[in-house]
Amino acid sequence: MNILDNYIKNKKNIFFSENIDIQNHREKLINIFENDSFDKKNNESLKNINLKNFIDFKYKYLIPEETSVINNNQENSYSIVSVNGQCSSFKDDKIEITKILDEDYNDFSKNDTIENIDHFVNLNSLFLNSGFKIVIKKNNHIKIKISNIITDDDLTIFQKNNYICEEGSSLNLIEEYENKNNSTSNILNVIKLEKNSQLNHFLIQDNSHNHNLIITSHSSCKKDSIYNQKVYNFSEGYVRNFHYSELIEANSEANLEGIFFLKDNNTSNNKTFIRHLAEDCKSNQVYKGILNDRSKATYFSNTHVDQVAQKTEGYQLSKGILLSDNASYFSKPELKIYADDVKCSHGSTIGPIDENAIFYLRSRGMSKIAATKILISSFINEELNSIDSEQMSELIQKKLVRYLSKVK
Amino acid sequence: MFLEIKDLSVKIENKNILDKLNLNIDKGEVHAIMGPNGCGKSTLANVLAGKEDYEILNGSINFKDNDLFDLNIEERAQEGMFLAFQYPVEIPGVNITPFLHSAINSKRKRMNEEEIDNLSFAKLLKSKASDLGINIDMLKRSVNTGFSGGEKKRYEILQMSILNPDLAILDETDSGLDIDALKIVTEGVNKLKTKDNSFLIITHYQKLLDYIKPDYVHVMVNGSIVRSGGSEIAAEIEKDGFQKFQQ
Repeated sequence: MNILDNYIKNKKNIFFSENIDIQNHREKLINIFENDSFDKKNNESLKNINLKNFIDFKYKYLIPEETSVINNNQENSYSIVSVNGQCSSFKDDKIEITKILDEDYNDFSKNDTIENIDHFVNLNSLFLNSGFKIVIKKNNHIKIKISNIITDDDLTIFQKNNYICEEGSSLNLIEEYENKNNSTSNILNVIKLEKNSQLNHFLIQDNSHNHNLIITSHSSCKKDSIYNQKVYNFSEGYVRNFHYSELIEANSEANLEGIFFLKDNNTSNNKTFIRHLAEDCKSNQVYKGILNDRSKATYFSNTHVDQVAQKTEGYQLSKGILLSDNASYFSKPELKIYADDVKCSHGSTIGPIDENAIFYLRSRGMSKIAATKILISSFINEELNSIDSEQMSELIQKKLVRYLSKVK
Repeated sequence: MFLEIKDLSVKIENKNILDKLNLNIDKGEVHAIMGPNGCGKSTLANVLAGKEDYEILNGSINFKDNDLFDLNIEERAQEGMFLAFQYPVEIPGVNITPFLHSAINSKRKRMNEEEIDNLSFAKLLKSKASDLGINIDMLKRSVNTGFSGGEKKRYEILQMSILNPDLAILDETDSGLDIDALKIVTEGVNKLKTKDNSFLIITHYQKLLDYIKPDYVHVMVNGSIVRSGGSEIAAEIEKDGFQKFQQ
């Protein structure tokens, strides 16, 4: 079924479809699909995916019977279970969580900056069926853990979440994706950081092989604000992690880290697009992948430094270990610099595991497999050591051990 | 015989390196191999340790009644062979202490000995490091990462003293060492010498042999041993160089 037929058939189940402005907007998006030649060579959002699966999909969504739970376990600490992308509303003097349908549609309707260039964001806008908004109120420091649950097979979740950190606030956000059913989640996180706020965003992805996860996040940072993202991907299914970041006011920061562990025929597509639009801003990216068997990964990164963005610091680094001759990792870090007083760098290193290091370790009595495992662990040692939550660190270690147990 | 190398010929990437090399080392002996650059000394060390880049064309190596070619790299180490690398490999992120602990236990396991626990190992490591003038803080670092040339060599000897091998091969351990570091390293080696273990020392210079007294000195030229004898050969080389052996 093509996009148009799919949309018309399911229109009544899609959020805000009765709104004329949104209908018009969605028709434009459908036109983009109908007129696009889907040139894989020049559109990074299309690399390494079977486009047919994502465009000719069978739409299915179930409004969850069970309501999601929001617990205020400890002071300033909340846990949320999001079911099929939906979440109950909740409010206290520190945070406000609102179901998407209770929100003003304008907050959810358009994403001018990233629509048109990213087909999956367009699909999200077209078929929107779930999502929520979380506001951290001024000067509050909050921890939230979100467990994302999908109830049935064959569901197509199109979820949009808005996160707003008001002035002087901070949020430590942990999102867990551990779905075992055959479904597709297309999630767009729109993040707004007000003056002097901070969001530490930790995503753990560990879905089974028949679950597709497409996560796009779009952050905008005002003066003195910081967005930190760490993604650990252990999924056996397809995962796409794209991040678009705008440093719109002075002295703001975006730090992105992505570690992925692939095997079998897994694919992980990563893309970042960072726009430095004010002076004294920093961006730092580290993406590392371990690829076994026939797995594939991409890392496309574009850091754009506007001419007003003097004193910018922008760094991009990607590294990959290929454990098999059939694994592949395509990396393309790019810098576009229009200011003249900047510190920027980019680098990429991909290759098999260091044979000299293996020989050295084996010559001390360590088996080849033990040496390989110790070198894989050491490859991401710096990132693992930088996780400041002991509980999170243990969880990642456990998943790493499971991944390493399959390395032969 | 502890180590018996018979008619060993080896090549790498279509280049013959060792040519019908013969060498016998018995228990408790210290042998030195001297030779000009590119004569095959390091190749011999790597072949003994099991590096897989080389093609064995001919010959045999017997070590402690084992056909060495039947043992892989780690089995050779577990059987008591140790190579002190000419260029120790930097391995960021692999901490020295757990690495060495794991290494010693893999050897003990093969020998059907009880594994050494954390506390006993920490004590052993501390005491051996102190003997070699190695700062305890260094043991918290990653293997060879950020070490100076001298520190790397000292760390190789520390590993050797912990693993207590039956046959230690020192591949140009003296290169890059200043005189004080050379003294510390060679004292460390001398402390390990017993009637039950053997050493094969590869070097260009006599200086190292002033500190570690060899029982036999061999001259290697073009992949073969062309002369064997006592310490007088080292003195001869120091005086006249290798040229006369190459003719």
